[in-house]
Amino acid sequence: MEMNTIQLDISGQLCPSCLLLTLKHLNQHAAAVRDGRTEIVVTTDDRQATTTIPDAVSKMGYAAEVTRVDAGYRIRVCSKRG
Amino acid sequence: MGESPFLLISVTSAVAGLVAGFVMYRSDFCVTAMFRDLFLVRDFFLLRMLVLLVVVSMLAFELGRAGGLLGPYPFPLLGPGSLATLIGGLLFGVGMVLAGGCVVGTLYKLGAGSVVSAIAFLGLLAGSALYAEWHPWWSAFARATAFGPAITLPQALDLAPAWLLLPLATLGALYLYRSQRRGLLTRPAYAAGHIPPWRTALILSAVGFVSWLLIGMPLGITTSYAKLGATLEALAWPEHVAGLAYFQAQGLNYTPPFAAAAVSGGAGPQLDAIAAIQYPLVVGIILGAAGAALLVGEWRLHWRIPPRHYASALLGGMLLGAAARMVPGCNIWHLWGGIPILAVQSLLFLLGILPGAWLGSRLLVRFVVR
Repeated sequence: MEMNTIQLDISGQLCPSCLLLTLKHLNQHAAAVRDGRTEIVVTTDDRQATTTIPDAVSKMGYAAEVTRVDAGYRIRVCSKRG
Repeated sequence: MGESPFLLISVTSAVAGLVAGFVMYRSDFCVTAMFRDLFLVRDFFLLRMLVLLVVVSMLAFELGRAGGLLGPYPFPLLGPGSLATLIGGLLFGVGMVLAGGCVVGTLYKLGAGSVVSAIAFLGLLAGSALYAEWHPWWSAFARATAFGPAITLPQALDLAPAWLLLPLATLGALYLYRSQRRGLLTRPAYAAGHIPPWRTALILSAVGFVSWLLIGMPLGITTSYAKLGATLEALAWPEHVAGLAYFQAQGLNYTPPFAAAAVSGGAGPQLDAIAAIQYPLVVGIILGAAGAALLVGEWRLHWRIPPRHYASALLGGMLLGAAARMVPGCNIWHLWGGIPILAVQSLLFLLGILPGAWLGSRLLVRFVVR
């Protein structure tokens, strides 16, 4: 099955854009992300989002992983199953 | 001018700023987020960190006062509470959410390369200086709506401070103990060089204590925004600035802990005690945060963002700057310094900032972050 990836680049914006926009996209694609058909990948310089996004999405039943890229972070939000 | 009291004051402030800027950046210790995220996403985590900071400062300040270490008590620049403080706090709450950070948060973000915070900083300078235009009217309103002469709640109730502070601090400590037992004082973090916020709360309490010990008051910076704004305004309109009552007033008159004579200062462009206390703190926070970002390779400018973010930062910054003069004082001054001694102004400020942050959050979601 082909994985659909939604890429968001949210660098330099007012806080807490990163968290709010990620949650907005997650809600729009909730079923697809839950089924593992879609993932959301956020690139950001917002350090706080590396804590608040995993915290928020794990409470909603999703998984998140944070990796360091260049001068910022990549946060992948996906289904808990994989 | 230039004798020893100013040297000790300036060096202490600069070091306090460097430490505060560094740890605030590494912990993302954003006071705006503490209130904003409470309303936006029901996140109480950062607010618990504020409770920790306040409870520890409350105990430290009270022990310091009782032990004769901290003077003057209450510290200078606090006034009686009034309706003006409550309204100022509300506007401050709206402004800090729209600006994306409070007066100190803006500095540490700016130091780490945030262009939108640099715009908020310019708004802060403009708003602080603009306040001088309606200061006579506003200060008359504050006097007319004052709740009484008391500076602190224990004074108002004619009680020794310990009778209120120790039970409150004990309640706070019990709450924190319970939170700690349930694992609510820590959460996973993935940012490089992250410092757990509880540790930063303790460090900032210590910084506030040292500031009061050596300078005679906890951390505060907002008068210097008006001062820097007035300095820039005077480059263009010197007569106008010289004619404004707010820039003539010398609101600060006190004898610092290790000084032989009294010093004074105000919001005008001159280099005085306010400049000696607050300018090094401002520069220290910016440099401390810049160093903290550089050391983990995160210092980078991002400016390609939707224009409405810049508009929000500028207008929010102006509102924040003006509100900080209307209170007077900022959240750092009142929440980290005034609340721990139960200053009446600080309690009213807190009452105002809560609905303000709620309103700011609604405006942010409606008009800015879409």
